[in-house]
Amino acid sequence: MNAYGLMAVFETPADAIHAAEKVRDAGYSKWDVHTPFPVHGMDAAMGLPNSKVGWFTFLGGVTGYTSGMLMIWWMNAYDYKIVIGGKPMFSPFFSFPVSYELTILLASFGSLIGMFLLNRLPRLHHPLLKNRKFCAGATHDKFILVIETADPKFNDQETRKLLASAGSKHIELVED
Amino acid sequence: MTTPAFNFISGLCRRSCVAAVVVAFAVAALLGSRLTAAEHAEHAKAETKAVQKAEAGHEGHDHGAGGCQGCCGDEPSELKKFGYAYLTAYMFCLSFCLGALFLVILNHLFDAQWMLPIRRFLEHLACQLFPTMAILWIPIGILAPKLYPWMTSDPATDHALAAKYPLFTINFFYGISLLIFLVWWFISSGLRRASLAQDKDGAAQHTRTMRKYAAGGIFCFAFSLTGAAIFWMKALSHQFFSTMYGVVYFAGSVWVTVITTYWLLLYFRNRGELKDVTREVTFHDCGKLFFAFTVFYAYIHFSQYFLIWNAAVPEETFWYVAREKGSWWWVGQLTIFGHFWMPFLMLLPIHRKLNLGFMSTMAGWAWVCHYLDLQFNIGPVLYPDGPHLGIYDVLCLSGLLAVIIFRFTSAFNAHPPYPQRDPRVAESMGVYVEPAASKAAH
Repeated sequence: MNAYGLMAVFETPADAIHAAEKVRDAGYSKWDVHTPFPVHGMDAAMGLPNSKVGWFTFLGGVTGYTSGMLMIWWMNAYDYKIVIGGKPMFSPFFSFPVSYELTILLASFGSLIGMFLLNRLPRLHHPLLKNRKFCAGATHDKFILVIETADPKFNDQETRKLLASAGSKHIELVED
Repeated sequence: MTTPAFNFISGLCRRSCVAAVVVAFAVAALLGSRLTAAEHAEHAKAETKAVQKAEAGHEGHDHGAGGCQGCCGDEPSELKKFGYAYLTAYMFCLSFCLGALFLVILNHLFDAQWMLPIRRFLEHLACQLFPTMAILWIPIGILAPKLYPWMTSDPATDHALAAKYPLFTINFFYGISLLIFLVWWFISSGLRRASLAQDKDGAAQHTRTMRKYAAGGIFCFAFSLTGAAIFWMKALSHQFFSTMYGVVYFAGSVWVTVITTYWLLLYFRNRGELKDVTREVTFHDCGKLFFAFTVFYAYIHFSQYFLIWNAAVPEETFWYVAREKGSWWWVGQLTIFGHFWMPFLMLLPIHRKLNLGFMSTMAGWAWVCHYLDLQFNIGPVLYPDGPHLGIYDVLCLSGLLAVIIFRFTSAFNAHPPYPQRDPRVAESMGVYVEPAASKAAH
């Protein structure tokens, strides 16, 4: 039976942050911290770079804006010309409100889709969800750090020692 | 010279890209005024011919003809030139005081923790509204008959003036102006008095007092600011209608104040006064607020333009038509691209909001944009062909700024640099203090 990773339970957000700093400095790459609520400063402690979701949002927004403008131009000034209120066939002014709404709509779609893609969601199962200690703790009052066995630096003895030195009272191997 | 100061000035004139835009703008302005001068000459010829053809006794009935008599007939008098330059500089300085007052009110309305480091100097800036700005308003009060065409216009023949009675009458004008300053005095000094009293005794009562001032003050602030924008700026073209005019001035004012706040925070942190309370997140939050107001200003000004454009009512469109003539057109373009698109696109990534050098440069750039935005509002009444930036503008702006900066720094140096015993001071320093109630529960 394969092991998914090594799980260490911490009692306070401060302990979890310090442990994350240690694991980051030790050079691990495939690991994560699971907490019942967002912990400020955790991204810096884990050494996480800025999220790339913003790019999906931006691309969504640009697509929305240009498609809105193009749609209105194509419908009103090219495909079926109609004069309304003596206004020009096409003007960025009257096209703006609709394009702006489409910018917001597609930008929020972009954020949502980007988040799902980058998180590799949806997925039906995760090995950690089989672990009772994990499920009860990470959603309630425990701060859980998990280092995957797939990490190139993973070594059962060394990693266990590192997590113990970070102050975890409970370390266990999670099955895949 | 410290880095933020250098960057700020570079934002005003040094950075190569910014300089290129300014030079391009100046060239365009020159070309524009030449072109319109030629256009005007041709237009005048055509008009005289038309008038000769037209029958005698046919009355001039549109605003265009009425407005044109006042402005492109002969060179405006020196006093008038000075008055317009002074008014523009005054409205520019007023922006900071009103923006600061708004941010202080905002702080209490939302019970915001992150604004604590910036609150004290904003309180001082807001308190410049009275008596400093009130005294500086006196020249406008004296020159008003020269500045505002409605003051010398007869309501019996001017329909717009009669229709807006009693809005544009001498008594109303001075009465409202006085009332506006009293309202500002009441809110700004009340907020600062409670804040300084809290420094001494640390009582939570003062926080409640400030909340009351803020809750009532936001309404008075909205009405008084709208009144100021209408009476002192929009009244230059009293025929004009726009219910959004006050909000446009408000949005631009807060926009330029927020980025100036960012710069002042950086300046006072580097000098040491605000070193203990300033964290990276304070700059980030300030940057976010600036970004929000970049969008808000564009949204509001676009809405004003869009509604006027769409309705196409002559009483409203003449205002923008005058501002699309000559090199004013380029100032409008600067508002679209320099006031909105450039900061908007530049500030989208998170790291730029934390780039202190970049943001200081942006502060200088915002000053240029906001000043030209006010020129755009005020200038075309006197100079229909484009902005004329002369010695009066430089003198008025530097003079008023010098007074404000002097009064502001002496107030800042006389008191503690941030609220010393505010209930949220530990939180804003990033220290967690467990509440007494939760300690007892353990």
